[in-house]
Amino acid sequence: MQQFSVHKIGPEIQIAGIDLSFTNASLFMVISASIIMLFLFIGTKEKKIIPNKIQLIAEMFYTFVAKMISDTAGSKAKPYFPFIFSLFMFVLFCNMVGMLPYSFTVTSHIIVTLIMAVFIFIAVTIIGFAKHGLKYLSIFVPSGVPVVLLPLITIIEIISYLSRPVSLSVRLFANMMAGHTMLKVFGGFVISLGLLGGWLPLGFSIALTGLEILVAFLQAYVFAILTCIYLNDALNLHH
Amino acid sequence: MGKYFNFIIALFAIQNNLFAAEVGMPQLDPKYWASQAFWLTLVFSILYISIAKFYLPKIKNNLDNRENRIKDDLEDANKFKELSESKLKQYKKILEDAKKEVMKIHLESKNTLDKEIKKKKETIEKEIEKEIEKAQKDISDIKKNSITDIQKISENIASNIIESISGDKLNESSIKATVEDVSKKNLGKYL
Repeated sequence: MQQFSVHKIGPEIQIAGIDLSFTNASLFMVISASIIMLFLFIGTKEKKIIPNKIQLIAEMFYTFVAKMISDTAGSKAKPYFPFIFSLFMFVLFCNMVGMLPYSFTVTSHIIVTLIMAVFIFIAVTIIGFAKHGLKYLSIFVPSGVPVVLLPLITIIEIISYLSRPVSLSVRLFANMMAGHTMLKVFGGFVISLGLLGGWLPLGFSIALTGLEILVAFLQAYVFAILTCIYLNDALNLHH
Repeated sequence: MGKYFNFIIALFAIQNNLFAAEVGMPQLDPKYWASQAFWLTLVFSILYISIAKFYLPKIKNNLDNRENRIKDDLEDANKFKELSESKLKQYKKILEDAKKEVMKIHLESKNTLDKEIKKKKETIEKEIEKEIEKAQKDISDIKKNSITDIQKISENIASNIIESISGDKLNESSIKATVEDVSKKNLGKYL
């Protein structure tokens, strides 16, 4: 799958024997972040009472994420709003930039999504312990469960808690990779079936492109909202 | 989801036969993992700092400004509405007072006019009565006077007629008595 392959751009950078070269993946991270910053720059340049289109879209993103956080994690999550906003925008724009032909999808690499998910997992765990101390462990002991079932439930809860980074990262990575693979496969069918039979997979390709744009938005939203839910568990301890 | 994945894997197999050059998942090759982790951390940190320190406060500021502006405008609108309502009330009150005044003036003028008309009517009626009385008196005077004249004329006519019929003169006093007698009998008819 050539579209997922990473290759070096420019000189090799080695720090302490580790290869940290600038790659096409890094390039598209930079491109996505630059598009976000450019968009927000234009969106906040003019402070109009009646906004223009780009300002309106920027404000819509703001209110969308703000509402998402206040709905799922309450007012205590306000200090983490910039992080979740950045996360949502970054994942969304990486997904969307990946939809362009000949581009590279940053979020289709497990290492990228895993690093974000692990960071969120560790941060949420630290926040939980910092806010509630050892009481935070009560997250593994749901209330209202019969005593007989309690050990089993606790083990299940611990496993589900520890698998959060995996599920969070694999969900995004698998969705993006599967979507792009499907598009690639149908694109291959168009060529191999030629002028005679290639029209059907071409139609599928077009429909799937629409679906993938939806998935790109949806997965960014899911990633952000799951982060909010994990944050909610750490901030408001009631199970 | 499982079916979906099986389908993908089947498609993968076909794909790999069609394009034999591309094999495997580059995602699982750890060669550039460290590089991706490094660049992700760097890029995301820069993005986070610029968003948290620069862009979000600007957007929040602008949203707050708009909300305040809308609130102020609404308050102003309410104030003006109240003002207009009180003005309307005042206007209505003034209108009502004016109406009352008009009614009062109308009534007063009507009363005075009625009184005056009554007074004038009375004086005129009195005058008319006086005139009528005077005229009746005159008429009755004229009637009374005319009776004696008529008697005289009747006496003359009677004596003349008798004279021309019988050829001799009658006693004037007897004629006078007869005429008086007749006239007394018939006087009620004419007076």
